[in-house]
Amino acid sequence: MKDLLGIPRRIAAISRNTFIEAARNRAFVGLGIAAMGLVASSMAVSSLAIADQMARVLIDFGLFAISLLEVVIAVTMGVILVYKEVDKKTFYLVLSKPIRRSEVLAGKFFGLVGVLAIAVLLMTVAWVGSLILRSVPLKPDMPQALVLAWLQAVLITSVALFFSSFSSPILSGVFTLGVYLAGSSVPVLNDLLSLKKGALASSEAARFVAQTATAVLPDLSIFNVGKELILGIPISWGYVGAAGAYCLGWCLLFFGLACLIFERRDFA
Amino acid sequence: MDDVIVVDGLRKVFRTPFRRRRVEAVKGVTFSVRRGEIFGFLGPNGAGKTTTLKMLVGLIRPSAGRASLLGGDPGAIEVMSRVGFLPEQPYFYDYLKPTELMDIFGRIFGIPKAERRRRIDMLLDRVGLADSKNRILRKFSKGMLQRVGIAQALLNDPELVLLDEPMSGLDPVGRREIIDLIAELKSQGKTVFFSSHILADIERLCDRVVILHKGVVEHAGTIQELLASGDRKEILVSGSFPGDWARLPGIHGIDRMGPQVTRLLVESGFANDILRALLDARMEILQVADRRISLEELFVRTAGVGPVGAKEVTS
Ligand SMILES: Nc1ncnc2c1ncn2[C@@H]1O[C@H](COP(=O)(O)OP(=O)(O)OP(=O)(O)O)[C@@H](O)[C@H]1O
Ligand SMILES: [Mg+2]
Repeated sequence: MKDLLGIPRRIAAISRNTFIEAARNRAFVGLGIAAMGLVASSMAVSSLAIADQMARVLIDFGLFAISLLEVVIAVTMGVILVYKEVDKKTFYLVLSKPIRRSEVLAGKFFGLVGVLAIAVLLMTVAWVGSLILRSVPLKPDMPQALVLAWLQAVLITSVALFFSSFSSPILSGVFTLGVYLAGSSVPVLNDLLSLKKGALASSEAARFVAQTATAVLPDLSIFNVGKELILGIPISWGYVGAAGAYCLGWCLLFFGLACLIFERRDFA
Repeated sequence: MDDVIVVDGLRKVFRTPFRRRRVEAVKGVTFSVRRGEIFGFLGPNGAGKTTTLKMLVGLIRPSAGRASLLGGDPGAIEVMSRVGFLPEQPYFYDYLKPTELMDIFGRIFGIPKAERRRRIDMLLDRVGLADSKNRILRKFSKGMLQRVGIAQALLNDPELVLLDEPMSGLDPVGRREIIDLIAELKSQGKTVFFSSHILADIERLCDRVVILHKGVVEHAGTIQELLASGDRKEILVSGSFPGDWARLPGIHGIDRMGPQVTRLLVESGFANDILRALLDARMEILQVADRRISLEELFVRTAGVGPVGAKEVTS
């Protein structure tokens, strides 16, 4: 199986191209500018707050903005990752090369994961800059929180890739955002389910939907540690590692399903 | 004989998922291509050439039948690393320069860096893009893109080259260059399989051809064989024929030139029989001449007139 050695090489070649595409894409550059704008606006918001609340707003809002923008990048770029190549027919050239379709998908996935990592780094620079400007003391657990924000976006990328392997970009975007919103509210749903009163207690149907959602969707709340960061509750690297494993598991599932569908497609 | 492409009963039915419509684009095609030959793939628009080529490189799965390339399955890694493919009207990552595009493909092939650079430069020069190597592909003209497509099809020094309309979009000089290039590939012992509508090029280059029509192979063989099957002889006779001309087998045309002289167009294989019949009837043979058919005539005769493409039927 000398072919095994070729797998990482081929995946890397596709990732490289995906990365170059993002870097040369005006929309992505625009998104970077938007990120800067958000950080700047968090500074503006913070100046409206009462003095002792300023640090809290800057940290909370900053992390939230980074995490949300990561998801926006993951969704917008994730849903067109495959679609664009089919639509622009560039796949004819790539898929007729000695490369497996799953390797092409993996390459595109890792390319976007790399883009998300760069985006987190750039936004972190802006965030830390805004904190230093306002002389807000940095929190020691900020790196863990940022890695978690990135992991969440990676998971969302795999969801976007899965949906876009069989539906249009717009539908995939809607589905992926749905998974993001529902996945972020898994703990809320669980709380509601444990109550003896309320909508979920009175309606069998609603209860069933909520139960199914909490069972089949990834719990994204584990990636959101804004509260812990502000309250100074330590976020251990062990926790980050566990979250990484959780992310990996879901990625493998969604990626595997995307490959199964992609493998059967005709590129006519 | 060493066959590098074997196509056996290949079929493709396209289905439109919601409208319950089906189009049978390729209807059981069988042919094979030998190592070292230049093989032409002809047929009117919508005959199923592109569909067949896409099945050969694994972009489309056949509905039935089998295709094998270099003894392996279409799309398999071991196979495709020895094959070059130019799609019809190739589409590129337009944010890249030709050198960058070729570099990405070179990495997929696993060509070492120094070798990759050397081949990319050599091939881009070879297709006449020496001066535009470092311009962004978005700004390329149609013919320039076609040249990039040809260069990338040769990047891995393939044994077998599949080209879907390689001359399309090229100026006369470019077309000439591609003809020379294909001939050069043959002289290097490579096999070239290409589709084209430019019959003069096919006639000049190809050892054997297949003419596809509405998803079916209508003719297959060497160009000489094909043309011979359509060859005619022209016979000029004087005198009156006792009986019905049309009764004679192999007659394709009767033209009365005057009260005594008649011009007959006959199938070459029947010429001797017809001449004998004419002599038996005591007629005078004034002239017998070859009327060779051109590939173009054969093509037009095959394709006929009428709508192109495969019919859509409700299933
Ligand atoms: N994806 C598809 N869905 C439905 N029908 C298709 C599809 N692709 C091709 N066809 C049909 O299959 C037939 C053959 O098309 P194909 O592109 O193979 O022809 P071609 O011989 O390459 O023609 P041309 O000389 O115009 O390039 C046509 O009738 C076409 O409409
Ligand atoms: Mg075609």
